Amino acid sequence: MTRISRLDAVGAIVGIAVFCLGSSASVSAQGKRTADAGHGAEIAAQGTAGVPACAQCHAFSGASDSSGAFPRIGGQSAYYLEKQIRDFASSERANAIMSPIAKALSADDIADVAEYYANNTGQFPPLATADAATYEKGQQLARVGDAAKGIQACNNCHGPDGAGIPPAVPYLAGQYAQYIVFEMQMWKRGFRKSSPGSMALIAKQLDDQQIAAVAAYYQQVRGSSASVISK
Amino acid sequence: MAERLKPVNVVTVGVGMTGAIMGKELAAAGLKVVGIERGPARDTVPNFQSPAIHDELRFAIRKALMQDNVKETVTVRNSSDQTALPMRRWIGFLPGTGLGGALVHWNGQTYRFQPADFIYKTHLEERYGRNFIDAELTVQDWGVSYDELEPHYDRFEYLCGTSGKAGNLKGRIQPGGNPFEGPRSREYPTPPMKEPYYGALFRKGAERLGYHPFPQPASTLSQPYTNPEGLTLQQCVFCGFCERFACEHFAKASPQTIVLPAALKNPNYELRTNCQVLRVNLDSTGKTATGVTYADAAGQEFEQPADIVLITAYALNNVRLLLNSGIGKPYDPSTAEGVVGRNYAYQTVSSATIFYDTDVKVNPFMASGASGTVIDDFSGDNFDHGPHKFIGGAYVGAIMTGGRPIEFHPTPPGTPAWGLGWKEAVARHYNHTVVLTVHGASHPSRRNYLDLDPTYKDAWGLPLLRMTFDFPDNDIRMSSYVTEKAAEIGRAMGGKIVAAAPRRGPYTTTAYQTTHNTGGAVMGNDPKTSVLNRYLQSWDVSNVFVVGASAFAHNATYNPTNTVGALTYWALDAIKNRYLKSPGPLVNT
Repeated sequence: MTRISRLDAVGAIVGIAVFCLGSSASVSAQGKRTADAGHGAEIAAQGTAGVPACAQCHAFSGASDSSGAFPRIGGQSAYYLEKQIRDFASSERANAIMSPIAKALSADDIADVAEYYANNTGQFPPLATADAATYEKGQQLARVGDAAKGIQACNNCHGPDGAGIPPAVPYLAGQYAQYIVFEMQMWKRGFRKSSPGSMALIAKQLDDQQIAAVAAYYQQVRGSSASVISK
Repeated sequence: MAERLKPVNVVTVGVGMTGAIMGKELAAAGLKVVGIERGPARDTVPNFQSPAIHDELRFAIRKALMQDNVKETVTVRNSSDQTALPMRRWIGFLPGTGLGGALVHWNGQTYRFQPADFIYKTHLEERYGRNFIDAELTVQDWGVSYDELEPHYDRFEYLCGTSGKAGNLKGRIQPGGNPFEGPRSREYPTPPMKEPYYGALFRKGAERLGYHPFPQPASTLSQPYTNPEGLTLQQCVFCGFCERFACEHFAKASPQTIVLPAALKNPNYELRTNCQVLRVNLDSTGKTATGVTYADAAGQEFEQPADIVLITAYALNNVRLLLNSGIGKPYDPSTAEGVVGRNYAYQTVSSATIFYDTDVKVNPFMASGASGTVIDDFSGDNFDHGPHKFIGGAYVGAIMTGGRPIEFHPTPPGTPAWGLGWKEAVARHYNHTVVLTVHGASHPSRRNYLDLDPTYKDAWGLPLLRMTFDFPDNDIRMSSYVTEKAAEIGRAMGGKIVAAAPRRGPYTTTAYQTTHNTGGAVMGNDPKTSVLNRYLQSWDVSNVFVVGASAFAHNATYNPTNTVGALTYWALDAIKNRYLKSPGPLVNT
């Protein structure tokens, strides 16, 4: 009961934030159009005008591949995925590959493809495990935070063991370590402008070893609560 | 026999908001300071982290952050002819304990009192004449003016990083803020929090009736902020767990996030936790304090000599410590003489609940303790009381603090109190209900006071504080009037059912109302009607200062924290710039 309320809560917060900021999201908030996951699957599989197939990098399942260059997106909330694509389009998240693709997608395409991947979870590829000390260091940051630097536990927002608090907050459990490290650097250096009040601030306080540790931890911690809650 | 420790310059009894601020400032001024806290040490990391901190059963129901009332509680009765009984569970109000005090579990609502509040008696008599105020009310002036406190309000708000919109900057009314407020010297340190949906609904309804809604000033921050102590607070994520909980996000102003780290860095400052101060020790003349005696967690007693004793505990405990130490003359209701325990006041809180159809989805859980929208049109003396024959007022607002599952069960009148009908009503209304808070003033009465209980003692064998309180009729009339105004707003908000619940007597501690206990050691200009002079210095023992809401001569419309903060800096200013140069009474009798 508590958990469900909290999950809804975060979504609602974002809904309100969007409601205050502009009109585009209030359309979807009012639910005028239901996203078409079938059409989203088509875009994922074969692309659309000016847009390559998402599956080329993210796999048809959303598991992406083990290179870690591309995030795992299967099972993230549709709301979150949609917002990321919009952020790529607006260059809130500037990215040489994703920004042109996002700009070429229509609002309906974005909603559809987000709906498709939200409802898919692929296998986890067999990845090498981190050394125990790194894992523990990452786990401590995730669960407790860093008292000396005044950093709160990642799980406060990202859910128990990084399971996510959809729709607003993405899961980290099972996310590729390389991708987490890369995004933390994007925040640290100011290229990623979303979440300036939380993620940018935290990324700037973490040193490279801490980022590597927490990323290694989350890549490995998938399972248990994660798959259950991230829906 | 108590072990005598090495003397220090300053001891603070309690390390909550006032103790932490004063300890930090005086240590920085070069004094040796010892902060004595009865509860445990605790910090944002690791103690306040999620998911443990979101345990509603542990914190909201079982009151894990509150004073341990197995060891120490308050006895309560409604009138002098009754026998008071101890509160064995905290329900009606929730005194905090532990490092950081109640500012760890507060909601973050950060109001200033009105200029008229500080000259209350003078102001009311000028406007309404001498016979307007009910005879039982012991309304009086505070001995300090709003203009004198303004820089200290400002300083406290900038310490907290309070999020809000000024309504009056140096006398110029600002759009979007509270047009009724006293003049501010500058804007809030951070912009207002985002308006939740319940706030937006309230804004529409209030505007429709011609009122002046504004975002509630919140010390749960709208954006990251670095305060003058160099401490950085973060942005609130609207998790809905403020009141009764600690903030895991560094987003709520608490001593841990705004001042304690600065104090603890200073080698002049020493913190002792799990130490219960038993009394302030006086010399043979009874006019000078020599320090305090406390018991540590093992029960071992220590005497800590000090040049200055700052009593900085919770308002009720401040009064109790004065009484148990024999400082000041206790109030006697039969003769109306004496001052300690006099002018105890509470807060007159009521509500109007608005039930909507299911198409209005309120999402009450997306909140902070202080997010929301309010009006000040019926606060304090913002409206003409002449026709109404009462004094005081209340702010009205949609300030739902989290919609947590165990505590929030809105049901319309006529719903069964239990069983299937109740369950169905809760499920139907949970997400479609807005509760308007009517947060009203509380006036001191001759009949209401604090003294020592003749029967019940605490774990250390000292008498408990006894509270004798019932709502004065004036406050009941006020509540009735303003709660009806809230109901009118509820109807203008489009509610299908509006249930007004004005405050009615007798006072009971079995339903939560507020923790705003005030008075009992009030400040003023006349030693016959106040315990402290205008600098919060004891009239009787000049090296004792008593800092907290216990100094309020009455409790105004608003939440007390900001005024306690302002008084803290006001008293500090007098201590640092006047008392230290020439110790002794700062006001001659």
